[in-house]
Amino acid sequence: MKLQILQQDLDKAINLASRFASTRSQLPILGNILFSCQKTKVVISSTNLEISVAISVGAKVEEEGEISIPAKVISEIVANLPKETINLESEKEQLKISSPGFTSTVLGMSSSDFPKIPSTIGKDKLIVLPKEQFINALSRVVFASSLDETRPVLTGVLFVFSKGKLNLVATDGFRLSQCEVKLPGVTENFNLILPKNILLEILRSSSESTEITFSFNEKEKQALFGFGNTVLVSRLLEGEYPDFEKILPKESKLSVRLDKEEFLRAVKLSSVFARESANIVKFKMLKDSIKVSAESGSSGSQDTKVDAKIESGSMNQESGGLEISFNYRFLEDFIHSVKGEEVEIKLSSESTAGVFKDSGESDYLHLIMPVKVQG
Amino acid sequence: MNSDSDLKSTWKEVLDIIKVSVSPATFSTWFTQTHLVSAKSVGDRFLTEVGCRTFYTKNTIESRYFGLIQDSLNKALGKPCDLVFIVKEDVDKNNLKEGTPTPLFETEPKNENLIEVLRKARIAPNFTFENFAVSGSNQMAHAAALAVSENLGSTYNPLFIWGGVGVGKTHLMGSVGNSALRKNQNLKILLCTGESFTNDIIEGIRNKTTQNFRDKYRKLDLLLLDDIQFIAGKDTAQEEFFHTFNAVTSAGGQVILTSDRPPSEIAKLEERLRSRFEAGLIVDVAPPDFELRCAITQIKAKEKGFALEMNQVQMIAGNVDSARKIEGVLIKLITETKLKHLDLTDDLIESVIGKGVEQSGKTIKKDPADVIDAVSAYYQIGKRSLLGDSRARPVARPRQILMYLLRTHLGIALEEVGRLVGNRDHTTVMHAVGKITELATSDVHIREDISKIRLGI
Repeated sequence: MKLQILQQDLDKAINLASRFASTRSQLPILGNILFSCQKTKVVISSTNLEISVAISVGAKVEEEGEISIPAKVISEIVANLPKETINLESEKEQLKISSPGFTSTVLGMSSSDFPKIPSTIGKDKLIVLPKEQFINALSRVVFASSLDETRPVLTGVLFVFSKGKLNLVATDGFRLSQCEVKLPGVTENFNLILPKNILLEILRSSSESTEITFSFNEKEKQALFGFGNTVLVSRLLEGEYPDFEKILPKESKLSVRLDKEEFLRAVKLSSVFARESANIVKFKMLKDSIKVSAESGSSGSQDTKVDAKIESGSMNQESGGLEISFNYRFLEDFIHSVKGEEVEIKLSSESTAGVFKDSGESDYLHLIMPVKVQG
Repeated sequence: MNSDSDLKSTWKEVLDIIKVSVSPATFSTWFTQTHLVSAKSVGDRFLTEVGCRTFYTKNTIESRYFGLIQDSLNKALGKPCDLVFIVKEDVDKNNLKEGTPTPLFETEPKNENLIEVLRKARIAPNFTFENFAVSGSNQMAHAAALAVSENLGSTYNPLFIWGGVGVGKTHLMGSVGNSALRKNQNLKILLCTGESFTNDIIEGIRNKTTQNFRDKYRKLDLLLLDDIQFIAGKDTAQEEFFHTFNAVTSAGGQVILTSDRPPSEIAKLEERLRSRFEAGLIVDVAPPDFELRCAITQIKAKEKGFALEMNQVQMIAGNVDSARKIEGVLIKLITETKLKHLDLTDDLIESVIGKGVEQSGKTIKKDPADVIDAVSAYYQIGKRSLLGDSRARPVARPRQILMYLLRTHLGIALEEVGRLVGNRDHTTVMHAVGKITELATSDVHIREDISKIRLGI
């Protein structure tokens, strides 16, 4: 393998790839980055056996070949080199790096030990996702997924493809986020559960491209995302996702509209005390405002009034006095995901899930289970 | 070959062989992520599927360690094997635990289904205070249980109910659980027997899952333990129960226990347990008296949608001595009337009671001579005149009672009873049994006589 490449290009690729090379792995090869040189480009890839990444970088190739190099060493070297052309040349299991005024020999490993990593996305079953909408939807959904590994499916995000749209769903059993993306190209109905990590990675690294291509391999249980010159691949989660459609409330007794910033302030204020009493924040519906209160046995209590438009859906006027308690962390997470200026909350009773909406967005829906307070 | 445990043990053998041949790092990175999905015997070969957690694992293992796995599998299975690699997660690893609570998904079934909640707590839905009949013999126990159910964990803790077979201990205990669950379905309640408690511990020790056992029992809000006397003499069970008891009560939970005798009479019960039981309230439930049996008969008949006249109720209550037997008689009557389309008459009831004991399989193995002795001793009548020809009432009535007892209590055939009692005809015996059944319904003295003679046998 012999090639010349620009420092900026190489640095960016290695930066991304080294995120998945785990130095702590028991198997040394997994702490490496694979350089695989083809005709006009070099493919830089790495994996942690959950996710793999392959980045194609254009280069002037003189000789094709492969070598794997410890991620830590190569990334530190390349990051500190001047922004000029770098020469890479492999000799057996060593990589020679040279740039003006600098030469180095890095001990690598045979590329044959390196796991096989997909570097391109197959043409069949290819779905093109509009980047902005997709990223938007992801950022509103991913945070609701569970951290608890005892129920693996809940740590992922459910992708529900149906005619003309993609529905993203995540839940940890206490709250649920759902967001819809229009996809005119989709005709089949199918569901997939993707691990959260790859989605977080996409949120982080897809900034440059305008669209994201998506494909999956049923037999190998893998999902592939491509953007720009990068291909991210992850395994799919196996298992049965809970029937989320069943729990979406069909109707509600009253609807509350609040200014987002005011609501956020009230929740933040309440968190001062709620933090010490199981994160519980109480809401009381008044005539044209809501009272947000929290108390802690050891530090005190507080009340905040937030102006609100309250509409009672059903005939009875008494639902105005409804009292309901939520975990303030869930509320905070939700408010942070709201892009508009107004938040809409729909409630039925103190023991049924509250529906939260960004009032500017009809595609986004968030459910939070209230906390049951004794007495 | 396809049972899970077979596959697992086979794969373990294979992995043990492979472990020797590869480096520990390779083994823990690649091979721990595999499992055997299936192995089918086709002719003289095995067709096996090896599941890998991810496609990276699959690719690497398939391309680098195919030969090694095949050799090891050949050895483990004793036949040549063909291998197929697939990406599949080991389901076992996923379902290790039930996992975190997910209230968002649980709300609906929980609110709707009381039966389901009761089933989980292992409480029979028909154990309620409403259908528990109260009279002098169980008034105290009933009042105590009611008080406990209104204020779990603080009134009497533990509540210890003891009494004989079929007097309603479990019913009373179940009622407390039932009423508590009706008020709050989220309470953690479990009804179990001393025996199943012991079995759970043994299982926990065997499978090394004592933690699960502790999670199951120690976090309860209400522990209902039936037949506690079974844990006496079992050291580990007693110790575990001691800690469970302390954990539950100190967290404000309630414990209710039943037994067939008071704590002071349970042999081989550890002293610290005995003293704890005695610290609560100990109540006994006596066998039901005639009036209570009438009430029970009525309640049970109503439950089963079966109409009985008052005199029929009394006839059953007068001749059957425990609540369970009453249920048995009623079921018998229902089948007789429904299946054979017989009308419900006093005669039918008489004949069912006459046969009832025999068919319940609970006849007492006693020598008929003992019964004859007991009757003659009770009435102070010589055996000769008891079995003789005299038809004077002072002799004839005891003789009828004797025949009644031989028939219903010992379950001896009519003709045999006739032969034992001075070679009488079987119709005479039928008449005697019918007569006494009828008398026992209305005459207190006869009832008393019968129960005293029974005690004497």
